Amino acid sequence: MTLLLQQALQFPGRLSALAPTGPEAILIRDWLWRPMYATALVTYVLVVGALLWAAFRRRSAPAEEGAPEGPKRRLGLGVGIATAVTTVVLFVFLVATMQVSRATTTGPGPNPIRIRVTGHQWWWEVEYRDARQDQWFTTANELHLPVGRPAELELVSPDVIHSFWAPNIHTKLDLIPGHENLMRFQADSAGVFRGQCAEFCGAQHGKMAFQVVAQPPDSFAAWESRQRQPAPEPADSLARRGRDVFMGGSCPLCHTVQGTGAGGRLGPDLTHLAGRRTIAAGTLPNTRGALAGWIVNPQGVKPGAKMPPNPLSPDDLQAILAYLETLK
Amino acid sequence: MTATVAPTVGPGRVPEPLPELIGQLEQTWRDEPGILGWIKSVDHKSIALRYMITAFVFFLLAGLQALGMRAQLARPENTLLGPDLYNQFFTVHGTTMMFLFAVPVMQAVGLYFVPMMVGTRNVAFPKLNAYGYWTYLFGGLFIYAEWWFLNSGPDVGWFSYVPLANSVFTPGKRADVWAQGVTFTEIASLAAAVEIIVTVFKLRAPGMTLNRLPLFVWAMVVQSFMVLFAMPWVATATQFLAWERLVSTHFFDPTRGGDPLLWQHLFWFFGHPEVYIIFVPALGMVSSVVTAFTRRHVFGYPAMVLSLISTGVLGFGLWVHHMFATGIPQLSESFFTAASMVIAIPTGVQIFCWIATIWDGRPRFTVPFLWVIGFVVVFIIGGFSGVMVASVPFDRQVHDSYFIVAHFHYVLIGGAVFPLLGAFYYWFPKVTGRMLGERLGRWQFWLFFIGMNLTFFPMHQLGFEGMPRRVYTYLPETGWGPLNLLASIGAATLAVSVILLIVNVWSSLRRGLPAGDNPWDADTLEWATTSPPRPYNFALIPVVDGRGPVWRHPEGLPVFGGLRTDVRDVLLTTLLDAEPDSRHRHPVPTIWPLHAAIATTITFVSLIYTPWGAVVGFPLLFIAFVGWAWPRGRDHREQQVIEAERPVEVAS
Amino acid sequence: MTGPRVVGSAANLPTTTFGHRSLVWWGTVGFMLIEGTTLFICAASYFYLHHRVSSWPPAGTPRPSLLAPAVQVVLMLLSIIPVAKADRAARQLDVAGVRVNLVLASLFAIAMCVVRGFEFAALNVRWDTNAYGSIAWANVVAHGTLLLLETAETLVFTALVFSPNLEQRDIAGVSDNSLYWYFMTGSWVILAAIVYLSPYLS
Repeated sequence: MTLLLQQALQFPGRLSALAPTGPEAILIRDWLWRPMYATALVTYVLVVGALLWAAFRRRSAPAEEGAPEGPKRRLGLGVGIATAVTTVVLFVFLVATMQVSRATTTGPGPNPIRIRVTGHQWWWEVEYRDARQDQWFTTANELHLPVGRPAELELVSPDVIHSFWAPNIHTKLDLIPGHENLMRFQADSAGVFRGQCAEFCGAQHGKMAFQVVAQPPDSFAAWESRQRQPAPEPADSLARRGRDVFMGGSCPLCHTVQGTGAGGRLGPDLTHLAGRRTIAAGTLPNTRGALAGWIVNPQGVKPGAKMPPNPLSPDDLQAILAYLETLK
Repeated sequence: MTATVAPTVGPGRVPEPLPELIGQLEQTWRDEPGILGWIKSVDHKSIALRYMITAFVFFLLAGLQALGMRAQLARPENTLLGPDLYNQFFTVHGTTMMFLFAVPVMQAVGLYFVPMMVGTRNVAFPKLNAYGYWTYLFGGLFIYAEWWFLNSGPDVGWFSYVPLANSVFTPGKRADVWAQGVTFTEIASLAAAVEIIVTVFKLRAPGMTLNRLPLFVWAMVVQSFMVLFAMPWVATATQFLAWERLVSTHFFDPTRGGDPLLWQHLFWFFGHPEVYIIFVPALGMVSSVVTAFTRRHVFGYPAMVLSLISTGVLGFGLWVHHMFATGIPQLSESFFTAASMVIAIPTGVQIFCWIATIWDGRPRFTVPFLWVIGFVVVFIIGGFSGVMVASVPFDRQVHDSYFIVAHFHYVLIGGAVFPLLGAFYYWFPKVTGRMLGERLGRWQFWLFFIGMNLTFFPMHQLGFEGMPRRVYTYLPETGWGPLNLLASIGAATLAVSVILLIVNVWSSLRRGLPAGDNPWDADTLEWATTSPPRPYNFALIPVVDGRGPVWRHPEGLPVFGGLRTDVRDVLLTTLLDAEPDSRHRHPVPTIWPLHAAIATTITFVSLIYTPWGAVVGFPLLFIAFVGWAWPRGRDHREQQVIEAERPVEVAS
Repeated sequence: MTGPRVVGSAANLPTTTFGHRSLVWWGTVGFMLIEGTTLFICAASYFYLHHRVSSWPPAGTPRPSLLAPAVQVVLMLLSIIPVAKADRAARQLDVAGVRVNLVLASLFAIAMCVVRGFEFAALNVRWDTNAYGSIAWANVVAHGTLLLLETAETLVFTALVFSPNLEQRDIAGVSDNSLYWYFMTGSWVILAAIVYLSPYLS
C-alpha cells in the first residue's frame, strides 16, 4: 500500500496528446485534430444518415427495373456533389497539414539547449551537450528542461530502432542506427510528463519509458550544476563498504560513476542516480525497496533486460544501497 | 438443330444437353475417387474451397492469439504472457492475419467464383493453382510447426524491422522462420494472381466484353495486378533479410554502407498496397451483395470500375506514410500526405454509388445485406482516421500508438471482414447447396458489430493517452487499465460471434434448407448453374449479351456448343470483345503440383539452416518441373474429330 | 418454356494458337511482369544504396572487371538468332526446324550459365564485404535465377521435341519460351550496364 502511494506520488499526471503543454502539440490539437474530428463527425452523421435513409425510406411504387431518367439523373447529381465536397474537404486538410507541418518543424528559437538522446535496449541515455565540452554531462531516462527555452534533441541509436515520444509536449521521432534525427521542442509550463518508446525494439519495448521534467529556469540551473559534479565521497562507513562492493563486483563493467574508477558505458550513468525519480527506464519508483529488488533480480522486473541478476548477501546489498543513496 | 440439347430449361439457367452427354462431361471433369484423387484434384472449386477452409483455420488461430493478447492486456502489470510469448503472439497474429488469412481468403473467393462468373469451366492454369494452394498450406504449417515444436515463433513483428530482425539482435531462427514462411505465401498469391488475370482475360464466356464484367471480377483483376506488382517487393525484401542473416550481407547494415530504412521502403512499398489487396476484393463483394439485394445493378458502373482501378494505382503511392516518424524530408511528406488523402476519393465514390443504388432499389434485409450496411457504418470510421493519419504532424503524434491499432482494425475488419462475412452468407448456398440460418446469422452479426466496436473504439483514446503499440504490459499509473479491460471484453464478444458462425455452418450443413440454383435471385453467371456446381461448372457455355445475364434471360441463357465432352476442353475468347477464338485442352488430375510444392518447401526450409539448401533444392525443383510439364502420352483421339455436340447453326 | 437458344459452336475453332491468342503466352507475360518487378527492385535498391554514399564503390573496393559481362552480353545477343528461328519454325509447325534451333539454343544456354560463374568473379567483391558488394551480388543472383529457369525450360523443351509424345499444341510452348528468352536477354543488358558500368561513372 505504501509502495502504491509512493508510486502515485512519484509518477506524473496522465499522458495525453489532447492535453498538451508544448507549442507543437498544441498546434496539432487545435489546428488538425479538432477540425478533423469535427468534420469527421459531421460527415459520419451525413453518410450513415444517407445510407439508413436510402435503406429504410418509404417506397411508394413497386420497384421496377430500368427506372426512368429522372431518379438516375438525380442520383448522379447526388454522387457528384458528395464527391466534390469530399475533394474540397480533403484539400482543406492538405493545406492545414502543410501549414502545421511547417510550423512544427521550423528551427528552434535562439539559444536552444542541445541534448543528445541515445536509445538503448531498453533505456534512454541523455547527454547534455553544452557549448563547452568539459561541461557535458550524462544522465538516463530523465529529460530535464528549462521552461520556455527551446530544446534541440539529437536522436541516435547504436542498436535497433527506437522512437522518442512524449505526447504532451511533441510528436514522436525515430532513433535509427546510421541516421541522426533532430527534434526541436519547448515546454511551456512546468510539470513532469511521461514518455515511452514507440517503435517496437525487442523484449522490453513495453518498459522503456522516460520522464520529461520541465522546470523553472532557476531550478533547472541548480539541477544542471549539480549534475556536472562528480559523485561525492561517501561519508559513512556502510556507504564506503558499499562502494567497495560496487567497484569490486561486475557493476563498473557497465555503469559509470563520475569521479570513481567505474566507467562502463553499457548501462545508465549512475553518478546522480539518487536524484532520479524512477529506475529501470521509468518502470519502478526510485525507492530503496524497488532498487534492492531491481539489483538482485532485474529479470523479474524486465525479463530479457541486459542487466544480469546479482545474488548479493543481505549485508552487501544493504551496503550497496547505502552507497547508491549517496549519489545525489 | 438442337437435338443434343434438352428440351426445357429453368429460368435464368444454362440449359443442359442430353443425359448421356452430361454423364460423359461428369466423367471427364470430375476428380478421381479416394484420398489420392482429392490430392490430385485440379478443379478450381475444390482447390478454392480448401484455400478458404485453410484460411479460416488460420483466422481462428490468429483470433486465439488476439484473445491471448487481450487477456494479457486486460489489466496492468499482468503476467499471463511474458514479453517473450507476447511478442510471438502479436507477430504471429499479424503475420497470420495478413499473409495466411486475408490475402489468401480473398484470392480463394476469387478462384472459386471468377471462373464461374465469367462462364468457364476452370481457371487458366489448374496445375499452377494446385501448386499455389499446397505451397500456401506448407508455408502456414511451417510457421506454426516452428513455433509450437521448435520454440521458433517469429517475434519481431509482422514488419520485421532491421536491425532488430538481424542476426545480432535476433539470434536463433525466429526471424528466418518469418522471412521464409512469408515467402511461401508470396509465391502462392502470385500464382493466384496470374490465374485470375489470365482467366478473366482469356476464358470469358462469348459476349462478356470488358464492360459487362461483374464488378467483383473487376475487383479481382485489379487486386491481382496489385499482387503482381506489390508481392515481389516483400519477396525481395525477405530474401535480402534471409541472406543478411544466413550469409552476412550488409544491405541494411549502416556500419558497412547499408541502411535500415531501405528495409522500410521495400517493406512498405508492398505493405501499403497490401491493405488495398485485401480491401479491393471486399469492395467487389459489396457490389455483388448490393446488386442482389436491391435488385439493381450498382449505380454508375463506369465510375465504380474507374474507382477500383484508381484505388489500385494510387495504392502504390502511399508507402512513405508508414515512415513519417523516421525523419524524411518535408517535400516528400507533402507529396505522400496528398496521395494518402486523394485515395479517399475513389472509395468515397463507391460508397456514394452504393447508397444511390440502395436508394433506388428495393432492399431486402437479409443477413448478407446486413453485413454490407455494417461495413459502411464501421469502415468509414477507419476511413476518417485514415485521412487523419495521412496528415504528417497528426500522424507523428499517433503513429505506432493504439490509435493506429484502432484505425487499421476499423479498416481491415470493417472494410474486409464485414464484406467477407456478407459474401460468406451470400455464396454459401452456391458452394454447399444449403442456406445458412438467418436468425443465427442476425445474432452473429450484431454480436460481431458490438464486439468489434467495443474492442477497437476505446483504442483511439488509448492512443491519445500515449499507449504505444506492441507493449506486452503497462503500469497502473498510466491509467490505461479501464479502457483496456473494455477492449478485452469486446474481444470476448467477438469470439462468441465467431463461435455462432461455426455453429451456423455446422447446423446448416447438417439440416440447412436446400438452396436451389439461385436462392437470392442474383444476376451473375454463378447462379445460372446448380448448387453446388458440377465439376464442369456449365454443361454448355453461356453466351452473354449484357450486364446481369441471369436477369436478362428469365427464359434461360443462350449457349455456345461444340466443346468436346470426352476431354477437358475450355473455350478461349478474345481479350476485349470476348469473341470465341480457340479451344484449349485443360490438364487432368495430377500429383506433380504437390511434388513441386514439397520440393519448394524442402528448398526454403533447408535454406534457413544452410546455404547448401539451394544445392539440394534446385535439382528437386527441376525434377518436379519436368514431371509437371512432360506430356502424359499422345492423345490418339485427336485424329478423329469427335464432336460431342454436333455443330449447330446460329439461331436467331 | 421455350427451348434453349444455341447461338454458336466451338467445334471448328483451332486448338493450337500462338502469341496473345494462347493461354500460356499470357501466363508467360504474367511471370515476366513478376520477374521484371523483382529485377526493378534489385536495381532500385542498388541506386538507393549508391545514392547514400559519396564514393561508389566504397574506398578500398575495386571496380568490377568488364570482360565476362561483355562476353555474356554478346552471347545473349547472338543466342537470339536460333531462338527467333525456333520461334518462327514453331509457328509454322516445322518440327525439324524447331529441333535444330532448340539444340543450338540449349548450347547457348549452357554456355551462358558457365559465363555467369565468371561474371560473379568479375564483380571483384564479396557479398559480405560491404553493402555495395551485397547489392551487386543480389542483382546478378536475381537475374541468375531467370537464366537458370530459362536454361531448364529450354532443355526440357529440347527433350520434348525429340520425344514421341510430342503433340501439336506442345509446339506452341516453344514460341512462348522464346518470348521469355528475349525478356531474359533484354533485362540483362540493362542490369549488366547498371552493375558493371555504373561504378565507372562515379
